[in-house]
Amino acid sequence: MSAVDEIFDRTVERFQRPLVSYARSITGDLESARDAVQETFLRLAKQDLKSLEPRLPAWLFFVCRNCALDHTRKVVRLVPQAEPDLTLSDDSPSPDERAVINEDTARLRDLVALLPERQRELIALKFDAGFSYREIADLLSMSISNVGFQLHSAVTTLRNGWHSTPSHPGKPQ
Amino acid sequence: MKSDDPRLTAYLLGELDGPEREAVENALAQDPQLENTMNEIHRVVNQLETDRPAENGLTPEQIAAVKASAHKNRSSRRSVSRYAVISIGLSAAAACLILVLAPNPTSQPEHATSTVESSRPERVRAEDTAESTSGAVAEVTNVELARVEGAKFVAARVSDAPASPINESREIKSKEVTVQAAPGEPSVVAQSAAASESHSRTWSRLRGTGSGSGISSSISSSREISLLELPVDEFNTEAYAVIEPNAFRSAIDHPLSTFSIDVDTASYSNVRRFLAEDRRPPEGAVRTEELINYFTYDLPQPEAGAPFSISTDVTLAPWNQEHLLVRIALKGREIPRENLPPSNLVFLLDVSGSMRSADKLPLVQKSMKELLSQLGEEDSVAIVTYAGSSGLVLAPTSASEVGKITAAIDNLRAGGSTAGASGIRLAYEQARKSFLPDGNNRVILCTDGDFNVGTTSQSELVDLIEKERKSGVFLTVLGFGTGNLKDSTMELLADKGNGNYAYIDSISEARKTLVQQAGSTLHTIAKDVKIQVEFNPTTVAGYRLIGYESRLLAKEDFNNDKIDAGEIGSGHAVTALYEIVPAGEPVPGSPSVDPLKYQPVERDVPETAASASADLFTVKLRYKEPDGEQSKLIERAVETEPVPFEKASVDVRFAAAVAAFSAKLRGEDTSLSWDEIRGIARESLGQDPGSLRVEFIGLTEKAEHLPAQ
Repeated sequence: MSAVDEIFDRTVERFQRPLVSYARSITGDLESARDAVQETFLRLAKQDLKSLEPRLPAWLFFVCRNCALDHTRKVVRLVPQAEPDLTLSDDSPSPDERAVINEDTARLRDLVALLPERQRELIALKFDAGFSYREIADLLSMSISNVGFQLHSAVTTLRNGWHSTPSHPGKPQ
Repeated sequence: MKSDDPRLTAYLLGELDGPEREAVENALAQDPQLENTMNEIHRVVNQLETDRPAENGLTPEQIAAVKASAHKNRSSRRSVSRYAVISIGLSAAAACLILVLAPNPTSQPEHATSTVESSRPERVRAEDTAESTSGAVAEVTNVELARVEGAKFVAARVSDAPASPINESREIKSKEVTVQAAPGEPSVVAQSAAASESHSRTWSRLRGTGSGSGISSSISSSREISLLELPVDEFNTEAYAVIEPNAFRSAIDHPLSTFSIDVDTASYSNVRRFLAEDRRPPEGAVRTEELINYFTYDLPQPEAGAPFSISTDVTLAPWNQEHLLVRIALKGREIPRENLPPSNLVFLLDVSGSMRSADKLPLVQKSMKELLSQLGEEDSVAIVTYAGSSGLVLAPTSASEVGKITAAIDNLRAGGSTAGASGIRLAYEQARKSFLPDGNNRVILCTDGDFNVGTTSQSELVDLIEKERKSGVFLTVLGFGTGNLKDSTMELLADKGNGNYAYIDSISEARKTLVQQAGSTLHTIAKDVKIQVEFNPTTVAGYRLIGYESRLLAKEDFNNDKIDAGEIGSGHAVTALYEIVPAGEPVPGSPSVDPLKYQPVERDVPETAASASADLFTVKLRYKEPDGEQSKLIERAVETEPVPFEKASVDVRFAAAVAAFSAKLRGEDTSLSWDEIRGIARESLGQDPGSLRVEFIGLTEKAEHLPAQ
């Protein structure tokens, strides 16, 4: 395997989950998110990886966004916001990891799914991709202060939702 | 400040700069209700960070399909690429030349810093760059030129930034080109970036904007190559920087050799781990100076008042009888344990999923208990964890409360993915909270170094560490585990954070680092220690610094107190070796250059009183007290007649054997056979506390019989 193939594989390993998660914030469902990400990597395969490298994450999320938007245009969705999909795929987390996906996580996912689309996208970019406000602002053509405002308002919604939904005392059996 | 102020969230996400951060911190200190809100936000943010990576990814089939497509794509294309590379190379080189000659270069100062100070030789490979040639015309408006000490290659990089903002152009094109020059040529790295436009519109940080410290800017460039230079080892994501061995330099043209000390030893234990698994360590993982410094040497204690002693030895090089081998050794003052200042230790533990295996978190827990046994009631321990989210597990607690600390250690669990940055911030915050003005304030980072979520970019992490070190808190980085070790990241963090880096592969290594050498690992006695050697061209034709490739400094950096350098701990020893070509001998690898037309014809050295002496060289040292900002200077001239190698001290001979071992592992030329290296080592075991030297002989055998690559 050549060094470049190696880099490509690593890039796939490293970014596929954050990308799927991000794409899903746009498409709303896992399957089209996966398709969008697959399309993204297929496009990446045609690129010159070495020259792209410094800008790789940005490139990936930008292309992924377009692919995901293409999907939403193709599919006429009956339900504007899909139910959060909590099924585990084949490459599901190990038992230990599954233990980490506890009830807090599940509750928060429900709450995230109820956020406006733009805010879900911002959350994915911030927490999956680890982008800075500036990077997000550039990617979405927003002002930095608007990114900050939207994210804070998303977090506030989540915070209020979190504290109004009752927390179950004791661990679920 | 109200609870709907977006700065609250921005603060937690590390988006605020100095004044705004302070504003938030002040508001928090004054308003308990606001602090409450902040805690709630923190909880949500933590949960978001923890949660995300557990999301579903592609199916295995999709991953396989994607990879297969990429591999096919590339193999069908490779045959064409070589020619195109050459042509871009030539045109890029031409562009550079023109701009260099221009009387009024348009380079912007902030750009200039990013490469000129780069002292780490890097190699950028040119493979697979061909396709971006089509239709791309480089607009070279800005050229930076830098001379990299000791490097043997010329790299020219031309990037043409997209003419339109990124969100309008789907494909971003840029080119990277390497031209290989004849070995031994003076090296030039030229980077040309297309206009300031690229600067403001490129949103991944292309290069550091020069944060004032000299070597810092080399990070941005090493980050650029980080993905490209991973070792080709299947199922392994360890990352190592590329090391280009120092070449011989002429004492007339380059009388000064300047570097920062390196007391790290991680490379040796890492190499040992590879050899134990019958694998050849990647060349970038073999840092000669760390291999040599792993061993203890018998050196004199410093005189009263001085933080360290300096010893020099001159002998004949065992691998070349025409050359001299010089050892310069520093020995830090040994502070008796009862006199050690109290410690304020904050453990920053990586508890991400990747830390789950037995040689990681469980070993961290054992190591912490070993260290705990060394602490007294005046010392305090705190524990911060990070794994996507970061959290305070144990607030600063007196080390006498063993039960409480042990319980906290035992309760640690691995899971989630790694966001190093927020953890680092929190740890320094804790260290500042319980800061001991006369004590040893230190963050101990235990990780496999895989920072993959959150502030991922290496340069941002380094910026963060550089900011935090100004608070007077030192950093110790302990690397754990296999398969995922980000060696270069960790070395860099320790380097930038006024600290040291050790690799812990076993409980016995933990004991060596944290118990037997706790003083040197944890108590800094001098910081920013730099060495500058001035060679006397009357007696020395050329020289080569063995190792320290990643620690080279520009000669101007020596007297510049703003330039960060290595720390030395209580009882620490640092050894540097030079191979010297005596005057009259040819300097290997020195390029044949036509005589210069405009220089004075006589290039002989003008006599001075000093150069007429028998001095070989003068060693100069600069260091700062641990809490000082002004450096002090120590200077010593050396004129020792070389002793035959067999008569040199056991320590000198053993260090030479280690240097030759390292050269062999890195595939460099050395006339010594494995048998001869072993022979030297066997006859220079000395006292060998801990039988480390005996173990070394075992490693040479392992290394000799490694399967060829």
